Amino acid sequence: MTNSFPDLEEAQVILITGSNTTEQHPIIATRLIKLQDKGAKIIVIDPRYTQIAQIADIYLRQKPGTDLAWFNGLMHVILRDNLANQDFIKERTEGFEELKAKVADYTPERVEEITGIPAEKLVEVAHLYAKAERSAIFYCMGITQHTTGVQHVWQCANLAMLTGHIGRPGTGVNPLRGQNNVQGACDMGGLPNVFPAYQPVTKDDAREKFQQAWGVEKLPAEVGMTIMEMMHGLENGKVKAMWVMGENPSLSDPDINHVNKALQAAEFLIVQDVFLSETAQLAHVVLPAASYAEKDGTFSNTERRVQRVRKAIEPLYGSKSDMEIICLVARKMGARGFDFETPQQVMAEINQLTPSYGGITYERLEELGALIWPCPNGEHPGTPFLHKDKFARGLGLFHAIDHQPPAEEPDEEYPFILTTGRIMFHYHTGTMTRRIEKLDREVPTCVIEINPADASRIGLNGKNKVRLQSRRGELIAEAKTTERVDPGVVFMPFHFVEAAANILTNPALDPVAKIPEYKVCAVRVELAE
Amino acid sequence: MDQRLEALLQTIQKVLPDVDGIIGLKVNAAGHIAPHLFRKEAPAELDGLAIWPKYPTPDTLRLIQKAHPGAKLGMVVRGCEERGVVEMFKHAQVDLSNISLIGLQCTREEAEFCRCAKPYTAHAKLTVGEPIEGVPDPVTEGFLAKTREERLEYWKEQLVRCIKCYGCRNVCPQCFCNVCALEDEKWVGTGWLPMPLPPMYHLVRSMHMTAKCVACRECEEVCPADIPMAIQYRLIAGDVKEMFGYETGVSMDEKPPQLLVLAEGEFERTGLPH
Amino acid sequence: MEYKNVLTTCPFCGTGCGFFLQVLDGKIVGVLPDKKHPVSQGSLCVKGWNAHGFIYHEDRLKSPLIRRNGKLVEASWDEAIELVATRLGEIKAKHGPDSIALLASAKATNEENYLFQKFGRAVIGTNNIDHCARL
Ligand code: SF4
Ligand code: SF4
Ligand code: SF4
Repeated sequence: MTNSFPDLEEAQVILITGSNTTEQHPIIATRLIKLQDKGAKIIVIDPRYTQIAQIADIYLRQKPGTDLAWFNGLMHVILRDNLANQDFIKERTEGFEELKAKVADYTPERVEEITGIPAEKLVEVAHLYAKAERSAIFYCMGITQHTTGVQHVWQCANLAMLTGHIGRPGTGVNPLRGQNNVQGACDMGGLPNVFPAYQPVTKDDAREKFQQAWGVEKLPAEVGMTIMEMMHGLENGKVKAMWVMGENPSLSDPDINHVNKALQAAEFLIVQDVFLSETAQLAHVVLPAASYAEKDGTFSNTERRVQRVRKAIEPLYGSKSDMEIICLVARKMGARGFDFETPQQVMAEINQLTPSYGGITYERLEELGALIWPCPNGEHPGTPFLHKDKFARGLGLFHAIDHQPPAEEPDEEYPFILTTGRIMFHYHTGTMTRRIEKLDREVPTCVIEINPADASRIGLNGKNKVRLQSRRGELIAEAKTTERVDPGVVFMPFHFVEAAANILTNPALDPVAKIPEYKVCAVRVELAE
Repeated sequence: MDQRLEALLQTIQKVLPDVDGIIGLKVNAAGHIAPHLFRKEAPAELDGLAIWPKYPTPDTLRLIQKAHPGAKLGMVVRGCEERGVVEMFKHAQVDLSNISLIGLQCTREEAEFCRCAKPYTAHAKLTVGEPIEGVPDPVTEGFLAKTREERLEYWKEQLVRCIKCYGCRNVCPQCFCNVCALEDEKWVGTGWLPMPLPPMYHLVRSMHMTAKCVACRECEEVCPADIPMAIQYRLIAGDVKEMFGYETGVSMDEKPPQLLVLAEGEFERTGLPH
Repeated sequence: MEYKNVLTTCPFCGTGCGFFLQVLDGKIVGVLPDKKHPVSQGSLCVKGWNAHGFIYHEDRLKSPLIRRNGKLVEASWDEAIELVATRLGEIKAKHGPDSIALLASAKATNEENYLFQKFGRAVIGTNNIDHCARL
């Protein structure tokens, strides 16, 4: 997020898109909802009429996969009606003329044709967002999990820069990150192209710095493989061994029939986890990991807020923390630099090598409770909002983007759009939450959502199950009819192994961020018996 | 140090040698506060003694007693927490025979935060602070000023925000049933947000708080959506007082109406307006 | 008799709510929201409230497992670590560092992710490190 919760309380208009906020980030949702009581307006643009959509002051429903168009439509109206922030554009951005030329074609009427959003509603939203003194955008996977995901994110930035709604309290572009420590995993260099703090592995000085600090002669200079490339590598024999720490790609990745084949092809698969996950069942070695309650450490939330995880009890059932396991293996392999006794010592090393975490020590966290990075040194108070006076690259760059259809569109053979997501009561692949009785009883298995019109067309009477088929696989699941989704669209949560949404999903990737298109694929829906 | 805190510390230090532990609140370096069991083995912990914000400590007592039935304990209680343990005692959830209650009288500011009618203790032998009068409850008064239609609209608007966290039930010192009706599909459907109308979750909970709610307002405080549900509980408490003459927490021995067996004719509908 | 509350951070989404794990005689008995928490302000969602619910689950892995004759069988930590270290070493020697891939975790701590990528880069010598961030 560019901003953080305390300053976001000052927002007057909140634009939420591609986020089923009350179910995915419940406590962020309720914090935003409560701002309505102080007069803030909430706008939701989403293909599903979710709880937050119901609570919103204005709700717009677009056809899945048409987001680029409505963004352009909003900007078209903002420029047409002279609502852009010209000072901000002049002083802080570049590429404006290209953007202006591009969005000129996107009249509200044309956008209505593409997206299904009524023209007058689009105009209303454009005015509301642009005219407020402080407007903030929130988005989640509904924006990123597309082959055009990065362009969606650019569109959010375009919109914010066009109106100057960035770099101040109560504004900004605020991605809500899904898993609890996605932010931290990225910050710490759990990515194929960067060291901690996004220092590129391809840069000589970055490598030299880490070579020196880690006492190794030569660190690899080529960008490594992404998870999808690893899976292909396993299949074509380029990758022989894989070590999986607490993830469950066997259920979470797109086109899992293919993923499982890949994992099975591994010559040596190591999985460490709390439970015997679907992925662990395929492993050659399974290492029992301690849960979050049995170890110390830090998580970085979606605001970049670094907070402590504290050990409440000793590791149970002979498990070990991931830290201890990594150190044991490294030392066994004769490596130096893995003699850590506590996570606090690891953090001290992180402080040295990760500029944005330079001042985030356990001592300070003990005293302050939390710190929001960038926090370069021990005196620095942290940075609740980014891009205050300038963007990381200097001037903010507008990206002119045309509407493009998703990689796979419905056709005669596969006439429905399938969109996937999370539900309130489960987390990720459910390895933990499905074992919590109070959560399991709420939603014990996968239920897809289908519009009543479609349901009656296929002869669904509320009792029977449906068969979903895509070009990649098929599955059977329970169905619930609801106006929450439009005709022609079905929604399915991805937490459930017995009806694993990712059997169906399309592994087509966003070319830049390499995010799979979970949010749109074409399926056929029929009665299962 | 705050005078009341200082006085509380002294009282605790007086009691501590004679008990196995004292339930109170403790603050950490970053200012986070939680219930704690202070023991004579770790006297330094008392440096972190805290009093505000309050926490649902009656439940802490229940937890500890379940594992240590005979333990001799002290417990710091505000008015609402005292009412909480008294009602729990009547429902056989805690045993007060071995418990020394240390009453902590609330300040006006605290009472206003809680919209509390009785910010003082009634049973504790040891007390700290000067008791003050109850304060008005503008939220409930505002609700009562609404018409019937407005009230319905009001609840609809409020309840669509509920994210079914079960927090209001989880913190409530009077929610201790082994089998909870809120988790019975016959009453409350599962798995769908927002919960559909009629608001069964909230209706069931209101009913079940009848002659039980001790007006601690922990439920409202914990509610992520700020739903002022204690309005209902408060109005029902008024009915219970009128119909049965019963008020929670007032007496140690008077049985709540739901634990009485009424003879035929004893029960009469009063037809109260809400 | 010991009762304490340990402040920690919810593991179930990117919001980062804070809560106390209630520990009674060394056992976790419940969750209590943190009223002074800057993010969650004394509230939690249903997942946070039940975040202790899986910790003592009977399905917890109780020992390292090693695949022998196609089946996963119990093994000691020494055996398992030894096997991991040896096999990774062999594969690296035979097929080069880039024949090894590591999946870090959006559920693990910062410190663990840091160490894991350090291990991949410094010990194995590969940048084949990713996690399910995009999911
Ligand atoms: S219903 Fe609310 S106010 Fe009443 S006792 Fe329970 S938590 Fe306290
Ligand atoms: S605490 Fe609030 S949000 Fe949670 S279940 Fe109760 S009323 Fe609903
Ligand atoms: S309590 Fe709920 S909203 Fe808060 S971090 Fe946990 S899962 Fe997310």
